[in-house]
Amino acid sequence: MFPRVTAVLVVRHGGDHLAGTLDGIRSQVRTPDALVVVLAAADAQAREQAAAAGATHVVELQEPLSFGEAVRAGERVLDAPESDADALWLLAEDSAPEADALAALVAALETARSVAVAGPKLMEWDEPERIAGMGRTLTRLGRSVPIVAGELDQGQHDRLSDVLGLDPAAMLVRHTVWRALDGFDPALPTVDDALDLGVRARLAGHRIAVVPEARVRFAADGVAGPEGDGRGRAVRRRARAARAAELHRRLVYAHAALVPLHWLSFLPLALLRSIRHLLVKRPGAIAGEFAAALVTMFSARRVARARRVLARSRTTGWSSIAPLRMQPDEVRRRRQAAAEARRARARGRTDELQFLGAGGGWVLLATSAASIGLFSWLIGATGVGGGGLLPLSGFAELWRNAAYGWRDIGTGFAGAADPFAAVLAVLGSLTFWSPSFAVVLLWLVALPAAAMGVWFAASRLTERGSVRALAAIAWAAAPMFLAALADGRPGAVLAHVLLGWLVFAVLGAATSWAAAATASLLFAAVVAAAPSLTPALVVGWVVALAVSGRAAVRLAGLPIPALALALPLVIEQVGRGTPLGLLADPGVPVGGTTPTAWQLALGLPGGGWGGWEELVRAVTPLDPRIVASVLVAPLVLTALAAVFSPHLRRALLALGTVLAGFATAIAATHVSVASVGLEVVPLWSGAGLSLAWLGLILAAVVALDALRRGAAVIAGTVALVAIVAVAPSVVAIATGAVPLAPAGERSLPAYVVAQAEADPRVTTLVMEPERDGGIRATLEHGTGATLDDQSTLDQTRTELTADEEELATIAGNLASRSGFDPEAAVREFGVAFVLLVPATDDAREPTQAETRARTALDGNASLVAVGETDFGTLWRFAAAEQDAAAARIPAGAGGWLSAVITTVQLVVIGATLLLSIPTGAGREPDRRPVRRRPRRRFLPPRPAARGAEEAPVEASVDRTHPTADAPEGDDDGR
Amino acid sequence: MAVDRKLLRIGARALAFVAAAALAVGTVAAAALVPWPEHRAEVPSLEVQPAESRQLRVCPGPLLALGEDPTAATTASSVGSADLVTATEPSGVALEEVPLEAPGNPRAAEDGSPVAIAAEPGGVDAGMLAGAQSQTVESENLSGFTAAACGEAVAESWLVAGSTSLGRSGLVLLSNPSAVAATVDVRVIGETGAVEAPSALGIIVPPGTQRVLSLAGLAPNLTSPVVHVTATGGGIAASLEHSVVVGLAPAGIELTGATAAPSTRQVIPGFLVPQSGGVEATEDHADGDEHPAVRLLAPGDATAEVSIGVVPESGSGGTTIEATLQPGQVVDVPLGVLDAGAYTIRIESDAPVVAAARATVGATTGQTDASAPGDLAWTVATAPLLDAAVVAVPPGPSPTLHLVNPDADAAAEVTVASNGSERTVTVPAAGAASVQLEGGASVVLRGTEGLYATVSFAGDDQLASFGVQPPGPLDSPIRVYPR
Repeated sequence: MFPRVTAVLVVRHGGDHLAGTLDGIRSQVRTPDALVVVLAAADAQAREQAAAAGATHVVELQEPLSFGEAVRAGERVLDAPESDADALWLLAEDSAPEADALAALVAALETARSVAVAGPKLMEWDEPERIAGMGRTLTRLGRSVPIVAGELDQGQHDRLSDVLGLDPAAMLVRHTVWRALDGFDPALPTVDDALDLGVRARLAGHRIAVVPEARVRFAADGVAGPEGDGRGRAVRRRARAARAAELHRRLVYAHAALVPLHWLSFLPLALLRSIRHLLVKRPGAIAGEFAAALVTMFSARRVARARRVLARSRTTGWSSIAPLRMQPDEVRRRRQAAAEARRARARGRTDELQFLGAGGGWVLLATSAASIGLFSWLIGATGVGGGGLLPLSGFAELWRNAAYGWRDIGTGFAGAADPFAAVLAVLGSLTFWSPSFAVVLLWLVALPAAAMGVWFAASRLTERGSVRALAAIAWAAAPMFLAALADGRPGAVLAHVLLGWLVFAVLGAATSWAAAATASLLFAAVVAAAPSLTPALVVGWVVALAVSGRAAVRLAGLPIPALALALPLVIEQVGRGTPLGLLADPGVPVGGTTPTAWQLALGLPGGGWGGWEELVRAVTPLDPRIVASVLVAPLVLTALAAVFSPHLRRALLALGTVLAGFATAIAATHVSVASVGLEVVPLWSGAGLSLAWLGLILAAVVALDALRRGAAVIAGTVALVAIVAVAPSVVAIATGAVPLAPAGERSLPAYVVAQAEADPRVTTLVMEPERDGGIRATLEHGTGATLDDQSTLDQTRTELTADEEELATIAGNLASRSGFDPEAAVREFGVAFVLLVPATDDAREPTQAETRARTALDGNASLVAVGETDFGTLWRFAAAEQDAAAARIPAGAGGWLSAVITTVQLVVIGATLLLSIPTGAGREPDRRPVRRRPRRRFLPPRPAARGAEEAPVEASVDRTHPTADAPEGDDDGR
Repeated sequence: MAVDRKLLRIGARALAFVAAAALAVGTVAAAALVPWPEHRAEVPSLEVQPAESRQLRVCPGPLLALGEDPTAATTASSVGSADLVTATEPSGVALEEVPLEAPGNPRAAEDGSPVAIAAEPGGVDAGMLAGAQSQTVESENLSGFTAAACGEAVAESWLVAGSTSLGRSGLVLLSNPSAVAATVDVRVIGETGAVEAPSALGIIVPPGTQRVLSLAGLAPNLTSPVVHVTATGGGIAASLEHSVVVGLAPAGIELTGATAAPSTRQVIPGFLVPQSGGVEATEDHADGDEHPAVRLLAPGDATAEVSIGVVPESGSGGTTIEATLQPGQVVDVPLGVLDAGAYTIRIESDAPVVAAARATVGATTGQTDASAPGDLAWTVATAPLLDAAVVAVPPGPSPTLHLVNPDADAAAEVTVASNGSERTVTVPAAGAASVQLEGGASVVLRGTEGLYATVSFAGDDQLASFGVQPPGPLDSPIRVYPR
């Protein structure tokens, strides 16, 4: 009997694709016996076209149902199949069959009774010579893979016949089998619906064949199968649907006993696969990964239904599937091919930084030599002290201090850690056997590290070695950098070192997820080290978002790690009404003279004229202010010349950075939030100046890059003057005329340190006469406070805590003749020692306060004098006990909050870290703008060339490979 | 056309450069000139009022004499006993009198020993405890009248008095009333500079004990010694007993307490000159101790230019003497020829100095061995008083309270309450006033903030004085910065 073929056409949108498809159906050699058009929430044009198509039935659906459901609705209007030979031809609006397609398909069903489903060779709509799909199969682990995808059709696959599954579009399925198998699984709306049908047909004893002679043009509009769009959102949606389908099939196909195990494995697997997504720079896929796992986990009814349908129709064992699965060696071969393709893509893409070729090696060598010359007195030291430097705690405590919890400073309290403590923890872990040594290392490598950062940043803007060298040298010889090094300000030094690298990473972030993640980590570190830069950097971020176009996606997450680190602190500071305290410089507050606007304009944050005042007065009658200004002028003028550059936007951005940095520095001199004793410590204006200096340097780079000739000479001159400008500071540092000195591991007398060996919590009450005749009383535990113990939360508190008032009362009474019970110090705080630091100036009040305290302590019968030490006079409490309960850190100080906050921070930082590992070479699409070739002087002066000069090529041309992000391409793990 | 466009472009760029430069200069100018708002955090601190404690004053005890017992020539044994008077506010508080050990004095059991008077915490108002003692001796080697206030035990005190030249002897009395041992360094500075006396360094004074050092033993043949006592551990109340023998006859004795700490400004109130006479300040050879003189020492490292004002208490007249002090060298400056009466000595200096003034009575020039013995007194510089003070007046000849007001602008009204009667004394601006007191009385002064005060005694052949010192700063409030 002549088989009856009913074509079921699912339509959503009208237009060219639908017209082509209808033409294709009409022009069939073997026309379908009936045409059912299913309008799934179709638009008016589609309705019109469908009406004109001469359909047997038109089924109108109000909802945009999936392809499988739409077909089911269309099939419902048909009579029951009269024979096994009757077939359904499942078409979508975008699948235009060639004239003999149906004939070939029908022939396949007729020649082999065992074949229940036959599919065509799907060709790309726009490139009909390229294969879009030709059957699908499963790997041994159940992942759905296309058998052929994206290959040019040269007949190389035309011998393919039996397959495990098909793509849904234009497949011909025996009507009886369709009914027996209950159609497509409603739980697989887009992906793997036809593959699943194939698997079930195979298990029911049928075969699935692909018919290479039947060619169907297919546009992947998303009606049948997933949308073939290359844009990020569609890619993410497809990846999510594929993962959900895979997990659903896993639950359906698995042995009943294993289903709970599979179910339990979904979330852990999602976690592991998310890590992999980060490593292969596909952070967008993570949300879909978890959504797929969760949705599948909580769709028990659909799984049960699918398992019931499968069990009902199944007649053979799973062994019948095995030969059609993709074999492991084929999987391996494909993986190798993908890796090879990645390598090939990456090859042309590595940034041509030409580190050695452009003289980066020489700059590194020169700055290293300069650093050794400057800090020769630090070589061999195990620690450095003075200024704002203290030792670091041991490895474990270092990390404890980086987490929310007990802040072991003074009387101690539970609260948020400074983000800077996390930076210190990372820094100290570099030399985990002796974290304090890391600070020495930082001081030794700061100069070359800073120089290299800006060298690389400049390499993004210019190809000239001389200009890059100028940038590096001017950055390393920046006056505020040397001031921070001389004063011992670890935060400012780190911020200066990292700012250059931040610019380098941000300039790369436009094209690479790895660079974007690195930038966000550097951003977090810079903000942690110099919180006063935050407003300027956030403004910079917003501007970058606005001007970076599509790259904004990768920049959008820039502040996330910084926010994760700082959020607990932000909440506490804002909650207690001291939001400005967030700007406080972390670490030990170091006071100093407030600089004038003129000094700031010269990059001098220390309140002096860069050491020129003595030198100039000694030699010439010139005003030292003029000398210092003249020496900065070349760099400033070169930077202003950036407005001549054809890259006007770059120039304006760089000069805007100068403005933001200078404004930050000026604002810093007007804000003081932290206090030490009775000193109010203004913010360090050097951090803002670092930013301004960076802008100057980048502007100068832009200006010199635009010069046709003479750039090297100007760069050399500017660099030379920049070095001369800091000569007095350099001499001061090199000769050790700075408050820093190689220091041991302690800040308390040796006697106390020896006690701390036995009792790490031994508590010392340190009293220091203040210049108003009062005393500063602080508690030190063990060998003394460390840099990571410091807390801006403590320094910026405007009121005393109850503990601090108690301490003040005890200290005030100890420094007086008093009836107060001195043992309260032992009882309340576990104090074992009292150290009276000598007054630092000879004025009457501090000397009197010192004498008073000394007399009172001397005459106190509960105290035993230990004697004079390097740090002051020391007394011991006769009643002091070992391991005093009052001196211990309260157990569980942070409570559950500590665990939650630490976990969130670790997850965010860990994820960013994974994303920043540069494993993405070749995986990420090449988003680099076309590089402007340097103009050659010997170019013939053609009018065209002049035109190019006027209209700079800055448009970012995306050489996007649309399939590079497709999950099928290289997704080979779980 | 191309040239025009090029010119235009160059012009635009130059304009942009100028605009950028102007913006830069404008920014710096705005930063410098605009009064931007400021935020300065306030420093949290706590003013701590020390808890009330046991208040303590130490009285030096009976006068001592070296070699009274021929068998023990180096032993200082007591000569008679002193009369002790105490004063408190509120009055009538029960005071504890704790005798100190005087291990060197074989007659302590008969004559009594140094006494610490103590008020329990809260018993008296802060600093409102005073004690004073007086004693008259007439013996073969000693004669005269002494009066001394009971002082606080402190870490550092300056004794400006005495002499170890022929016929003069001195004893340094170191009393430690506290519960801990005191390690005391005694340094003697003379007219030629500091005297090397290693034996006087690191003297241990056990708790509750008085130790006595012979000044002559430490520094013989000094005309003008100044004794600097520093103590670690317990505090020390130091005083200097000074006696004079002219020829074979005793010619006066004095027990001097600590003078005010080094300062660029010192006031010696109530300096009593019983007889007219003296030596001009310019006199180079003003030997002997019969003339009124002021002893000065600049303990620092710098030369001090000193101006000494000597003003009668009546307020009229007065002289000013200029002197130059070499650092670390003691100078006795004669005060010129003065009429009998009470004077205020004001010392202004450009470097910190310590000072005390000396006067004698009954010892006229050319006196022979057999003539009536005289007496001498050292009047020390005092520190400014607090708003209230309490003074114990020991028995003695015509005790007088001298008040000095350093304020050149406003007179001070001082209420003097004694034995139930109350008087108001006006101390004129930059002037002085004196109030007759009764021996054995307890006097409470109010309205004395910033004033200086001395109690003097003067009889025919008797002269003594002690300064009224404010309580030490040890129990005053102190500001603490616990961060």
